[in-house]
Amino acid sequence: MPLVLEQVSHAYRSGPQTTVALDKVDLTVRDGELLALIGHTGSGKSTLAQHLNGLLKPTSGRVLLDGQDINAGDANRRALRFQVGLVFQYPEHQLFEETVYKDVAFGPRNMGLSDAEIDARVREALALVGLDFGEISPRSPFELSGGQMRRAALAGVLAMRPRVLVLDEPTAGLDPRGRDFLLEDVQRLNRSGTTVVLISHAMDDVARLATRVAVLEKGALAMEGTAEEVFSQYDRLTRMGLDVPQGFKLARLLREGGLELAERARLEDIAAELALLIKGGDGDAA
Amino acid sequence: MLRDITLGQYYPVDSPVHRLDPRAKIVLAFLYLIAVFLVRDLWLYIPVALYLAFAAWMSKLPAALMLRSLRPMRILLAFTFILNLFFGAGTTELLRIGPVVVKQEGLMNAVHFSLRLVFLVTGSSILTLTTAPVTLTDGLERLASPLKVFKFPAHEMAMMMTIALRFIPTLVEEADKIMKAQTARGADFESGNLVKRAKAMIPLLVPLFVSAFRRAGDLAMAMEARCYRGGEGRTRLHVLKFRRRDAVAFLTMALLYLVLLLPGFIK
Repeated sequence: MPLVLEQVSHAYRSGPQTTVALDKVDLTVRDGELLALIGHTGSGKSTLAQHLNGLLKPTSGRVLLDGQDINAGDANRRALRFQVGLVFQYPEHQLFEETVYKDVAFGPRNMGLSDAEIDARVREALALVGLDFGEISPRSPFELSGGQMRRAALAGVLAMRPRVLVLDEPTAGLDPRGRDFLLEDVQRLNRSGTTVVLISHAMDDVARLATRVAVLEKGALAMEGTAEEVFSQYDRLTRMGLDVPQGFKLARLLREGGLELAERARLEDIAAELALLIKGGDGDAA
Repeated sequence: MLRDITLGQYYPVDSPVHRLDPRAKIVLAFLYLIAVFLVRDLWLYIPVALYLAFAAWMSKLPAALMLRSLRPMRILLAFTFILNLFFGAGTTELLRIGPVVVKQEGLMNAVHFSLRLVFLVTGSSILTLTTAPVTLTDGLERLASPLKVFKFPAHEMAMMMTIALRFIPTLVEEADKIMKAQTARGADFESGNLVKRAKAMIPLLVPLFVSAFRRAGDLAMAMEARCYRGGEGRTRLHVLKFRRRDAVAFLTMALLYLVLLLPGFIK
């Protein structure tokens, strides 16, 4: 069952002024997809993410999960939060327990699960993020490396087995290795059936991973479509202050140079097409 | 939830009062507090009220905002009024319901002390509403600097206050974020008894302390990287200057004192 935003607006007051963070956003998160949410800083991405699990209530509009309004008076918001897992920016800042094991177990324990079930979930979650249970789980989370801390924090959310996982810039501040590890985890999760909403500024990652891309500008939904559909609107994105994937830039330059290339977002696809062109075009090149 | 906490209640508009020298404002606020205590007769609250209204008008502050400063005081106000009303000494009985007696002097005292509190609080709120916290500490530092002779660490105190004030919004934001992150993992901060609630704060407080220490370390490093070595020989970007408008402000205060003290001399 999809997660649906219906005409969601969010305004908040800061001092004398009211700021509109979201402006009538209509967006559906489909089951099993990996939806990337992109937008300039301050475009409302994080605010939108917090609406997906009811941490923020829309000023107007509705958020529906399985057709139920999650902000309705009788809705069980706590149960909802176990279904829609939200990983904040710099999630390692929320680690607090003495051991990684206890920290990952925090979510499942709040769900009221049995000790055996909690143990199983902790093992599963740590395995999902590629941390060795025997080595990592008895250690203090504050002794881990930055990348490991981030993954331990991610495990803390995964241990609740959410159906939808919302990640707010999960790779910010990680080194390339840590980033690749984390994105692999995310992709693996998505392939095994978890719906993922990924907020990111790294357009190459978006192009590589996303099955669909939504663009926010000043709180409103500006574009929505496949990575190819969105990134082919190069000029519009640039005007919004957004980047496009490197591969896309290269393809565009090659097209301007006279090569006939299709609009593709993933680096691998572009490379494959180029290789084909170069091989097949031997005769012309001479 | 945490956004409701307003520690720095500075109201950012441009007004003649906002532009006053912070030292002048601190001294004026102090003089005003003394003036309120000088009031002996109820009718003398009229000039005080007029003065307050004038100051509020000059500061372009909405009345609702000033009245809001009374909110945390409402219980104390109620206590002051009720205690004075029923338990004051006096001779003239106004009302008697069973064992409860209201005397005229009690009523007068109740009104008098309640008004005194109201005027003290709303008046001093003008200072914090019209002065940015950093400017305020700047003013305090300069006012306290003569005490350096007695080894009073005026600069260090002011620097600590400035840093503390600077980090309040950051920490509030941080606390809000961590609270949300833990709520997303099913933490419950709002229900249960006192012990349960105190326990529920651990997932919030531990990360908050960790980040506060991290920030403090970073800041110390950044300050040293910019050669901070204490207040000795530091010059300022904004030098405080006593201007004509400060003198005018003091004149209005003198006028208030004149009105308040004159009846005493005439007698």
